[in-house]
Amino acid sequence: MHVTNKEKICNQQSPAEGCACSGQAPGAAPADNVSSRRNFLKSAGMLSVNSLLGTAALMTMSDDARANMDWAEWFQGNYRLMSDEEKALARARLERRYSREYGKAVTVDGTPAQEGVLMGYALNIKKCIGCRRCAKACVEENNQSRGKDQEIEWIRVLKMEKGEFSKEKMNQGYPEGLGIQVGGNAYSPAGVVLEGEHYYQPEAVPEKGSVYMPIACMQCEKPPCVKVCPVRTTYREADGPVVIDYNWCIGCRMCMSACPYWARRFNWSDPKLPKEAMNPVTHYLGNRPRMKGVVEKCTFCIQRTRKGRYPACVEVCPVGARKFGNLLDPNSEVSRIIERKQVFRLKAELNTYPKFFYFMD
Amino acid sequence: MDKLKRFAVDYVTYVVKGSPAFYAWIALLCALILGLLYGTYLHAADGLRYTGLTDQVHDGLYLANFVFLVGIAAGAVTIVFPAYVYHHKALHSVAVLGEMLAISAVLMCMLFIVSHMGRPDRLWHMLPIIGIYNIPNSMLAWDTLVLIGYLFLNFIGGFYYLYKKYTGQPLNDKFYLPLIYVSIVWALSIHTVTAFLLNTMPSRPMWHHSMMPIRFISTAFAAGPSLIVLIFLIVRARTRLWIENSAIDLLATIITYCLGLALFLTLSEVVTDLYANTEHAMGLQYLMFGMHGFNDLVPWFWGSLAAMIVAFAILLTPYWRTNYRLLAIACILAFCGIWIEKGMGLLVPGFIPTPIGEFTQYFPSTLEIFVTLGNWAVGFLVLTVLLKGAIGILLGEIAYAATAQDKTISGNAEVSIAPELT
Amino acid sequence: MKKYAFLPAVLLLWCVSLSSARAEPVKCFESRKGASEVTQRMIGENLPNVKCSPKTGAVLWWGDPLDGTVPMGDMPVADADYNRGKAVVKPRTDKVGLLPLCGNTCHTGVLPSGFPQNKDTRQLVMMHQAIVLDATKLPHGRGSIWCLDCHHSTKRNKLVDHRDNPISFDQPQLLCGKCHGEVYRDWREGIHGKRIGEWASTGTKRWFVCTECHNPHNVQHGERNRGIAQHQPENAPALPKGMKTADHERRQHGAAKH
Repeated sequence: MHVTNKEKICNQQSPAEGCACSGQAPGAAPADNVSSRRNFLKSAGMLSVNSLLGTAALMTMSDDARANMDWAEWFQGNYRLMSDEEKALARARLERRYSREYGKAVTVDGTPAQEGVLMGYALNIKKCIGCRRCAKACVEENNQSRGKDQEIEWIRVLKMEKGEFSKEKMNQGYPEGLGIQVGGNAYSPAGVVLEGEHYYQPEAVPEKGSVYMPIACMQCEKPPCVKVCPVRTTYREADGPVVIDYNWCIGCRMCMSACPYWARRFNWSDPKLPKEAMNPVTHYLGNRPRMKGVVEKCTFCIQRTRKGRYPACVEVCPVGARKFGNLLDPNSEVSRIIERKQVFRLKAELNTYPKFFYFMD
Repeated sequence: MDKLKRFAVDYVTYVVKGSPAFYAWIALLCALILGLLYGTYLHAADGLRYTGLTDQVHDGLYLANFVFLVGIAAGAVTIVFPAYVYHHKALHSVAVLGEMLAISAVLMCMLFIVSHMGRPDRLWHMLPIIGIYNIPNSMLAWDTLVLIGYLFLNFIGGFYYLYKKYTGQPLNDKFYLPLIYVSIVWALSIHTVTAFLLNTMPSRPMWHHSMMPIRFISTAFAAGPSLIVLIFLIVRARTRLWIENSAIDLLATIITYCLGLALFLTLSEVVTDLYANTEHAMGLQYLMFGMHGFNDLVPWFWGSLAAMIVAFAILLTPYWRTNYRLLAIACILAFCGIWIEKGMGLLVPGFIPTPIGEFTQYFPSTLEIFVTLGNWAVGFLVLTVLLKGAIGILLGEIAYAATAQDKTISGNAEVSIAPELT
Repeated sequence: MKKYAFLPAVLLLWCVSLSSARAEPVKCFESRKGASEVTQRMIGENLPNVKCSPKTGAVLWWGDPLDGTVPMGDMPVADADYNRGKAVVKPRTDKVGLLPLCGNTCHTGVLPSGFPQNKDTRQLVMMHQAIVLDATKLPHGRGSIWCLDCHHSTKRNKLVDHRDNPISFDQPQLLCGKCHGEVYRDWREGIHGKRIGEWASTGTKRWFVCTECHNPHNVQHGERNRGIAQHQPENAPALPKGMKTADHERRQHGAAKH
């Protein structure tokens, strides 16, 4: 029955390009040995024409040519500037490498931005209970490194105290005895933004007297990270998300310094991604496995959203605090929220114009 | 062309010969470089996981040293500027030593950037035409441009001067002087752009103030000449090249002014930030007093401040300043003080707290320290060689005529009195 | 009709799961513990229907968000601007079957004689106490509502609207919207509540209905007085290198306190 539903998603989302939904592509068998080649080629037929071109080009290579393939990957240009053929080649090359490394058929999608779409996000800060399910779902979906050695999470949930004002503090001004007009209740954290706990671990959430604030990439319309990148490996896609060509990143970490939301993470070593946990449905600019020495971040789950699916964090939020949609569509959830609710952007004073809105009921 | 070949041969044969002390010094540097090689191998094989860097504090010792060394490179202009603009005789005669210092400092900057990068193998992505060079947007692209430009200016200027000295020909002022004047302005640009690299990011309020370029330049023009004075004193003591007192005194005066200005700017920053004490002052507060129980940087900050104040006091008093033993101490204090202030003292509090308010700490790993020492060792190795060659030429011990003459007189003539440069 | 198409598929999957692994089926809860659950299974090569949190048992990832859903049906609101054909819900009517004993004795379809005909608050006995300990102090509505304000008095596997018309358990929003009009409006527009599937306003979405997230019998949750029950949180992120604890975070706030 899932097939029926998937088809619905595919047909509905991309009628023009046929059913190129890579959600189906795990049907492709691992192309590890020669005998499975035919299967591989056959299943590749389900992929888009571009992918097919790339696969066909790879068919001419022997398995011994793996090293050459890695070299080819090293020499490839910036994804944004590649021709469609080069893009398909690059993706097919990666598909083969990943399939080999993870022992399953991995697809690397390249669906471009859809016209008339500007992806936006809204988060109901009053609803969030701080359960961190979004952060973990993101890891399941986006192939981050996990484990003791190097754990990467793109979403950080802050817990903030509501604070309390008390009679006892009335006489505890600071600095004491200097007659300066600072009351002892001055430092009650009520309403304090961004001075919270990152590593809270209670038995149950939400705790009384606490509010929670998840933070991830804001997909700024005017992203400071993009401006500082010396090689333009990170850029804003036409439909909104700020993406990274992991193969072009030189690891200078300027973007990490420039990001006011601490949304970017660095691969200090090769990511630790267990084979069985690896999500084989990937996008070149999204959740494909990264390598050591490059920066990564939230892409609004580009591999899902370009195919019409909600981002993974939206789907697991147990309180429905997370909303995603097309800002250009007045009927979308985010557009309605902006129209009906009071929204704010984090650190709006920096003029980064996030497409991630916080709101309250 | 033949002359040029001769120059290269004579230069190399001269610099590789020296006293046991010289070889011991080179051996020490090479030992440190072995550490660098091992570290670089680990970085290449496994990424930067062996550093103490985290997603919270993702720039550390490497970038700190880079920032400081850009200042040292720029500081070399404190010799060139008085020499060529004010025609200071004593400095004019040794101005080329400043250029040699600039070359080695820029080289160290580049080494530190390579150590800092996650993917140095992809450096070619920055090259125009085959890669993408994000100019004018990226400050890092600008910084690369000005640093490479500065390296070339000093290399060409310095070696042109040495070559002409070597052959005994007069300088072509129409070529040489514009080069010098450009390099003076360029020196300011490298450190200004390095300041822009950091202070153009409002995400890091600790850095985001317009005072940073001038503060960078004032500290650079204190730390740079401090190192130069130390080098001059060593050169005077260990080689036959005599550097006039007036040269050292002028540099001491420059250090005094610039150190005073640097201290004033530090004070201004402290007052500006801590008076209102907004959320944006947390980095500085963490640096000066510690926050949330983290106070590892506190002794460094106050130590650096004390060093700079003591150095300033010594330099400000003419009686002490002209005592070269005390002057050397003042220079060491100023150099170290600024290294701390501008390196770790500037970078780390920029990351603590993170833009979303997380407090962490940064402990450089042993490997990081080894790589850092190794990079410095490479720089000092290059500096030693360059200075030795330059001094040899200035002394006339390497000269085109001399070699030609030596050749005719005795087939296996050696430069018998090599400067005992350490 | 559609059920016939589902049947072979279900059988097939059942066989596949039997042959491949006899591991105990993993059950995960979808939104809140105690409400809808889903059993983990493979729906394709390398494609599980859900991935669950090893720590809390919550669904963390949906392989197929529309798995096991049925059309939600009409919303009897004039301006309800939603895609009728593409709004689906997970049915739960089949889960509200009565025990034979209950159906025979009390809930026979007619109100047994001797039972009060009004909706006045009174204490319930027997199994109802498992749901609401003290029906006279129902923690929903603060005393102003009682069981029969929501549950149909005779059709006990139905809810009830203002005019005593039955409402399916699949559409509790029609009931809840009686009082929570503002929230109901937000929910219809996708501002309140949870939906999974396709994000486009014209896309197929599984709508989570009110009771999948809220427990209607206990909406206050004690002192916290929130509509959502407490959850066990997922693990905290890893501490940065060199840090042993996060105790520093629990220090006093405020820029001047250091």
